[in-house]
Amino acid sequence: MSIPPVDAELALAEIHARRQQVVDTNLVPRWFWVSIAALMLLFVAAVETGAAWVLATGSVVYALGLSALILAMVRHARVQVRPELIGLRGALAIAGFTLVLVAAGIGLGFALEAAGAPFPATLGCVPVCLGLALGGPRLMARLRRIMLARPLAGAR
Amino acid sequence: MSRFDDLIHAPTRLSLVSLLAATDWADFKFLRDSVGLSDSALSKQLTTLEEAGYVEIRKSFVGKRPRTSARLTPQGHTAFTGHVAALQEIVARAGLAVLPQ
Repeated sequence: MSIPPVDAELALAEIHARRQQVVDTNLVPRWFWVSIAALMLLFVAAVETGAAWVLATGSVVYALGLSALILAMVRHARVQVRPELIGLRGALAIAGFTLVLVAAGIGLGFALEAAGAPFPATLGCVPVCLGLALGGPRLMARLRRIMLARPLAGAR
Repeated sequence: MSRFDDLIHAPTRLSLVSLLAATDWADFKFLRDSVGLSDSALSKQLTTLEEAGYVEIRKSFVGKRPRTSARLTPQGHTAFTGHVAALQEIVARAGLAVLPQ
């Protein structure tokens, strides 16, 4: 069967638009990153106080909060994007983002401890949490560009 | 290899298959809302694709809630890839400027 070129082009545009729809639906929302960052900071601070009741309360709040966040994400996950769309470049972006944050947090924490700063882990965690809250959405934007740039028929 | 696929090219099924081609699994409600079909109309389209071997339908539970999902089979992916290639060839032959990869 042959169709007019304009129809073929419209069909290709539709295919691209549907991929964009899937990608946009699948991205981790900004509120998730901010919430994770807040929970992490709260937990680290609770641990570092050394007070048993603060640690217990912080642990419970962290566990419940994290569970609620994950549950909310799972309930709202109506679609799972194909990993092939993310590809090696996307995987490297995710790994790089994670490694930078972990290295920054650990490095800063130890440096602050060596310098005798009070609450070194909590202070070291602050830039990590900022990185999560601000960098998470930027990572999502980068992954979005990567996924939309892949060939329409080559994402297998 | 390019191969124009009449089954996929029907407007609603093109939208459905395009959505499924970008996903591992897609929720029934997501497909319904995205394409703007009723439950029965979507079921009919998915059944057509399933009978062609292009789509697999799975029923599962998230907590106590039942969830129906669909995914493109390898055969469906092959057909979709061939169809996209055929569309791209038609556009390229006509020398149209806008050509998604």
